[in-house]
Amino acid sequence: MSRAFDVTLLLLLIACALAVIRTKDLLGSVVIFSTYSLVMCLVWQHRGAPDVAMTEAAVGAGITTVLFLVAIGKTVRRER
Amino acid sequence: MKRALTAALLVLLALPLLYAVAQLPPHGSPSSPPYAHVSPRYLERGPDEAGAENVVTDVILNYRGFDTNGEVTVIFTSLAAVLAVLLGVRKSTGEGAGVPDAVLPVSPVVSFVVRLLSPFIALFAIYVILNGHVSPGGGFQGGAIIGALAIVTTVVVGRSQAEALVPARVRRLLQVAAPLTFVCVGIAGLLMFGDYLAFPRAADLAWLRTAWLIAIEIGIGVGGAAILATIFWTMGEQE
Repeated sequence: MSRAFDVTLLLLLIACALAVIRTKDLLGSVVIFSTYSLVMCLVWQHRGAPDVAMTEAAVGAGITTVLFLVAIGKTVRRER
Repeated sequence: MKRALTAALLVLLALPLLYAVAQLPPHGSPSSPPYAHVSPRYLERGPDEAGAENVVTDVILNYRGFDTNGEVTVIFTSLAAVLAVLLGVRKSTGEGAGVPDAVLPVSPVVSFVVRLLSPFIALFAIYVILNGHVSPGGGFQGGAIIGALAIVTTVVVGRSQAEALVPARVRRLLQVAAPLTFVCVGIAGLLMFGDYLAFPRAADLAWLRTAWLIAIEIGIGVGGAAILATIFWTMGEQE
């Protein structure tokens, strides 16, 4: 059960990583990237590192996303 | 041709990496080198020796405090770099001076929820910082939560109002809080116990050990939050 959970999370991570690269819409890309961080947060928690999981949730999914959004707001939304 | 070459190079690179991963000791195996030497000592004596019940805090702030001191300095340096680049750009193009807040219409739902939740978020952040020596958490995590709180508040009330909560003079001090507390504790250790970042060892000084740990946690929390908020404010500033 635990192994199946692990494998699911890791497959989700790979899927998210690929989707981030493939998406041409940068806004969508950023949203997928924050999903990646959330899944990563679950992985940390499952590996027994709640400290890292908290940081990942706050910084990875929260603040990094906001900073990316601000950066997109200053530039253009579509990748050329 | 180019694609095939890239793919071939990637495979060539992946093979040694996968080989190296296969050589790693199995995850969680008690016989692997990292678990054989220092870990037992940390787990057995950390709570008594280092001043915190949470062994992770013992390791990052006491046993490897010097390491964390460097990390905290790196975070501060990153803020300095961001400010140097962004403020430099603004000065050279002459834009952004006196630009009002980003005029983003905020939905009343978002505004209400943020206003309702912010005291609870702040309380949770303080809990995470102060409870870091007992349960998972600490300055880095709590600081990130306060930073996120500052950012959502800015989105709702506008930058100038949010920034006005922290006077510019105090802000400078808050940004440098993390390395500053670390160096202060380090020098206190140097003066009182003969080594930079030396923590009190005697059993009857356990309260002082814990007090120093909490002081560093608060410093890291406040400093981290100030740095995250400043980066956000500076990025939002120039139009």
